[in-house]
Amino acid sequence: MKKLGIVVTLIVLIGAVWGFLRTQSNEPKIEKLVLTGSSTVAPLAAEIGKRFELLHSNVRVDVQTGGSSRGVSDARAGLADIGMASRALKDDEKELLSFTVALDGISVILNKANPVQSLNKQQIIDIYTGKIVNWKDVGGNDAPITVVNKAEGRSTLELFLHYFGLKNTEIKPQVVIGDNQQGIKTVVGNPDAIGYVSVGTAEYEASQGAAIKLLPLEGIAASVENVRNRSFPLSRPLNLVTRGEPAGLAKDFIEFAGSPQVNDLIEAQYFVPVPH
Amino acid sequence: MFKNALTTLLIWLTAALVSGVFVWLLADIIIHGLPKLSWSFLVEAPENAGRSGGIGPIIVSTVLILGVAMVTATPLSLATAVLLSEFIRHDSVFGRLVRRSLDVLAGVPSIVFGLFGNAFFCIYLGLGFSILSGGLTLSCMVLPILIRTAEEGLQATPNDYRLSASALGMSRSATLVHLLLPAATPALVAGLMLGVGRAVAETAALIFTSGYVDRMPDSLFDSGRALSVHIYDLSMNVAGGDASAYSSALVLILLLLIINSIALSLAKQWLHRSVVTA
Repeated sequence: MKKLGIVVTLIVLIGAVWGFLRTQSNEPKIEKLVLTGSSTVAPLAAEIGKRFELLHSNVRVDVQTGGSSRGVSDARAGLADIGMASRALKDDEKELLSFTVALDGISVILNKANPVQSLNKQQIIDIYTGKIVNWKDVGGNDAPITVVNKAEGRSTLELFLHYFGLKNTEIKPQVVIGDNQQGIKTVVGNPDAIGYVSVGTAEYEASQGAAIKLLPLEGIAASVENVRNRSFPLSRPLNLVTRGEPAGLAKDFIEFAGSPQVNDLIEAQYFVPVPH
Repeated sequence: MFKNALTTLLIWLTAALVSGVFVWLLADIIIHGLPKLSWSFLVEAPENAGRSGGIGPIIVSTVLILGVAMVTATPLSLATAVLLSEFIRHDSVFGRLVRRSLDVLAGVPSIVFGLFGNAFFCIYLGLGFSILSGGLTLSCMVLPILIRTAEEGLQATPNDYRLSASALGMSRSATLVHLLLPAATPALVAGLMLGVGRAVAETAALIFTSGYVDRMPDSLFDSGRALSVHIYDLSMNVAGGDASAYSSALVLILLLLIINSIALSLAKQWLHRSVVTA
């Protein structure tokens, strides 16, 4: 009785595995497109991939993460059809081709009630490193500054630190937040707070009546428009990277990812579509 | 008298602290995760990078990865444990070598297993990013736990069993199957649970082996995102994904509880049956 049970279980198991392996060979030939790289681009690429699959029923778009450098090296080694990088190509990577699908910008935000209209780069650095702790030192009210920083691991944090030449350990935050929405809510709820979030999200929320204002950086207004025309300094391109001129499926995908058909997907990830 | 009371108090406090942390963690996940949890969340595919939609394909991938890992690791580790405890002397050079290497293996950080799995299964064996690669990587990772707990379970069975069986003229394999393994079942199941727990919580080893694709897998050669990878991505990488991350974490805990109770009841049945028939 016991042995019979074991034998039956084994047969069922083997059958299940065999059936699983067989299903693949019975179906029509499926083409696979592999993308690897930046974790910032990955969710967007996966969404674009899903829509691409709807249009091409025999195509599977597999998106894998691992960081921008991995995307570049996988594309270079031919391990991936397309690499993803949330930065421009470096000088020693110029043999690769890059195609910008979207742009990402970061804006410093204050509460609307805060009289401060602009801060220069050094003032922002001093506020975030705790050298300036009161708004009156930068022309505001006599009130302590609440510094809102991003949690470790956020790409927004990396871009912010890189632009201001800071290390995360140097920052003295009062509040540490996760996503854009949380950052906006924190600044809305605290008139003395300063934070930074994705430009796309901030502009959308401000237009919906959230009590925040976007500070200009180096005299350039933080707006989706300025991120789009690439004049806003705190921004980066989200790139697809290939070794040599893309052909076939990769070419179709890159063209699709650069077309207006995916603009809603790009905006849903709080990025800025490139002008067409 | 006073000292005694103080010690008792301290011990109770420590116990309360430990369970307090657990309750807090569980309550946090339930409070944040419950609102989004529904039948459709369990069966639908993720949409908008996981902010909406469900986790159906991810649960399937997780179970498949876990299945591959356990189906390959269990027989291997059981055989090794039997060898170590029953067929070679405890202090033999070979046995010590195996045990030492298992201890080292148990202490290796999971990201190293991930890189190894990526280099060996995905690239060298050409399995690519697939559920198979992920499962095999996990099985390497849980081998030390499974082997050491199974070995300890076997060694804990009284030596009288072996002597009596031998006196009765039972063969070595019959003794093993009918006496020693059933007697060691609780330890084997405990080891299995530890292994499943470690495997199902794994992110680092899986992100480079079974991958990031959140589509319903067609075969074991497809890439499939595990629940833990999904939770990590939602909470660290996707703005506005925290609500889904909490619900996924809740599902992960429920999944673990279900697997644990199934294994426990199976073990009970097995023990009962072998006692009756043996």
